[in-house]
Amino acid sequence: MAAPRPSSSRTPSSRLEGILADTDRIQELSDSDGEYEDMGTATQEEMANIAYLESVRIPIEDGLTTESSAVTEETLQAVLPFLESNPNDFPLNIFGLPQLQREKHINFLKHALGDYPRQFAMMDASRPWLLYWSLQGLTALGYDISEYRERVAHTFTLAQHPEGGYGGGYGQLPHLAATYAAVLSIVMVGGSEAYESINRKAMWRYLGQMKQPDGGFTMAPGGEEDIRGAFCALVVLSLLNIPIKLPPDAPARTHGLTSFLDNLGEWVSECQTYEGGISATPLNEAHGAYAFCGVGCLSIMGPPKEMLNKYLNMSTLIHWLSSRQCAPEGGYNGRTNKLVDGCYSHWVGGCWSIVEAATASTNICNRSALARYILSAAQAKKGGLIDKPGKKPDAYHSCYNLAGLSHAQHRYTYEAKVQEDLGGGDLDAPYYWKAQGDYDDEKVWGDTDIVNEVHPIFVIPFKAVHDCRRYFMEKEGF
Amino acid sequence: MPKYYHDDPAWSDIDPLPQDDGTLHPLAAIAYTEEYSEAMGYLRAVMAKNEFSERVLGLTEHIISMNPAHYTVWLYRAKTLSQINASLRDEIAWLNPTALKHLKNYQIWHHRQTIIDALDSPDGEADFIATMLEQDAKNYHVWSYRQWLVKRFGLFDDEEELRWTESMIESDVRNNSAWNHRWFLVVGGRDGQAIGEDVVAREIDYAKRAVRKAPQNQCPWNYLKGIVRHAQLPISTLKDFALEFADMRRPDDIYSSHALDLLADIYAEQESKEEAERALHLLATRFDPIRAHYWNYRKSLLEQAGTAA
Repeated sequence: MAAPRPSSSRTPSSRLEGILADTDRIQELSDSDGEYEDMGTATQEEMANIAYLESVRIPIEDGLTTESSAVTEETLQAVLPFLESNPNDFPLNIFGLPQLQREKHINFLKHALGDYPRQFAMMDASRPWLLYWSLQGLTALGYDISEYRERVAHTFTLAQHPEGGYGGGYGQLPHLAATYAAVLSIVMVGGSEAYESINRKAMWRYLGQMKQPDGGFTMAPGGEEDIRGAFCALVVLSLLNIPIKLPPDAPARTHGLTSFLDNLGEWVSECQTYEGGISATPLNEAHGAYAFCGVGCLSIMGPPKEMLNKYLNMSTLIHWLSSRQCAPEGGYNGRTNKLVDGCYSHWVGGCWSIVEAATASTNICNRSALARYILSAAQAKKGGLIDKPGKKPDAYHSCYNLAGLSHAQHRYTYEAKVQEDLGGGDLDAPYYWKAQGDYDDEKVWGDTDIVNEVHPIFVIPFKAVHDCRRYFMEKEGF
Repeated sequence: MPKYYHDDPAWSDIDPLPQDDGTLHPLAAIAYTEEYSEAMGYLRAVMAKNEFSERVLGLTEHIISMNPAHYTVWLYRAKTLSQINASLRDEIAWLNPTALKHLKNYQIWHHRQTIIDALDSPDGEADFIATMLEQDAKNYHVWSYRQWLVKRFGLFDDEEELRWTESMIESDVRNNSAWNHRWFLVVGGRDGQAIGEDVVAREIDYAKRAVRKAPQNQCPWNYLKGIVRHAQLPISTLKDFALEFADMRRPDDIYSSHALDLLADIYAEQESKEEAERALHLLATRFDPIRAHYWNYRKSLLEQAGTAA
């Protein structure tokens, strides 16, 4: 057995000792990146941060170095200066952490909705995502997106396929990822004109083409089948109140299936791996983004307590989700021995409200450590949020870091009585969620760092969810 | 050099369908190059008339070179290949360098899967995958594709497949994708068939040896627990082994938080509630404090189990 060695000389504890011994300049903080100025002597806040990091470190480190451990260590060294100190020179909140740079992020996301130069042709099939990520990020930051209503409806009218569903843009084939992003964007801006721009009957038939005999869904005609498809399809079916019976021409009918839900719970169940997490298709590796799709899909099929316990091994799932939190960084990774990345603040962080509802417990995860990572390490100096320090901001990481911050700050509970007027009808489970106050106990955010509430399943504002469902509940037929 | 179609006699019969943005300026609009816009206009036109031909292959190749993430183009290309009975070997030869350039692309892998499925032979694929993994040893698409390949061509009992997987684990014992692939080969892909006692013993031994190399690496611990659960053995089968790395009587000599975690499960199974609590307490306060809430949640489950019994 390789002898475990004491942790490396660059741990927070040894730094703390150095700082306490004398008040020399913290050399490493200043040379983390050429663009940052020397930070001077350690401040009260820095000493508190360093003491905190020491308190959540795992005090065991293996002697053996492999490629994985080397890149993990490299990443930690790139992230630590941001958790210990404030290389971006952001104003600090009362907990000594960088404040949420609301205005900068709003500007960044508004810009992300604007025009792109020609080098962005590779995003041509992903434009619906750019809209969804930017609009959701803006609403989380409290920005009123109604100014975009007409242009959102117009953009997606061009991308809607005559045979149902949405493609990346004009003339593109329908795809479930594009359809998911398009529907959520339309629901966010809301209004009958936007709602009515969706051809729901054609959508029903398109989704019928995606349903597979094994229970899952393909992403496109002739495209890959994976758990994104199952989640995206159920989001659309539920929000638009589309019948759950398969359309007459759905190929899965020839295999005896009659409902979109047939074999679906079993299929999701097969995606849970020996580690406890959930994979893209049965037997692939457990992965954070697919875990959210899996628990999200089940939570649309029925109450989380019933569905998750029926189709998933909850103890291994919770063990695996919990293991995703990186120490001492506080952010999440997506798979065992992979690197911390701000987008998993949502993909993994967002699973917790659902899992807690399913187990009737609260606060199984470390929300304050996650919020620390987002505020300290995932905000870009000039606005927008990021994977990790050194990476460029983009709409994707902005959206999912902000959603993660929302999961950390707000308590979302599942209550059978909360939305009685929306209850009833097919796939009504997602309408029993309620935002129920904030997590105040271990908070590390000030009042101005609080983002808006985000619906735990649909990841858009609650009001947008309720307005849309109500609209289509009241509408007769297609 | 940009390639255009409007002055190409081979395309003179086609009226391109230009992108119609209507009267309002769309959001997140891209200022396409003339070359890209024109090629897409021709693609929309051939798609509208369901043309499948050699020249469509050329056109889709051209667009993919400008935008490899364009699923519409890939799907139409796949359909064209099948409609005109094109050489699938030529397609794979073209695809290889394209895939190496665009590692994180869903479409390329799905396309490859479609082609290899139609070719009905996995020849050469293992080598290609190995080349891809040299660039990125944990690439999700590549591993998923490998799993599809093994299942499609029934390679579960191919000794070379297991040997290759071991070599991947050998070169980085923390590569969880390689561990997952081992699980797939040995247990998961066998449609629920029971695995023999000899295989269970072999796998437990394999994972234990990996733990000894780096006890704080979670991959082999997860694997061990998975095997024991799958074989329906009591988890206490692993007790002596876990104690080697985490003897709670000597908390200063604990070499693995994962061993403590496992011990907590073992003690819970054996109804040694106090011991289980002690392991969870050590995790929450000393060996894995960032997850203190989780370890405390596990403690609360012990209470519930106690009340129920």
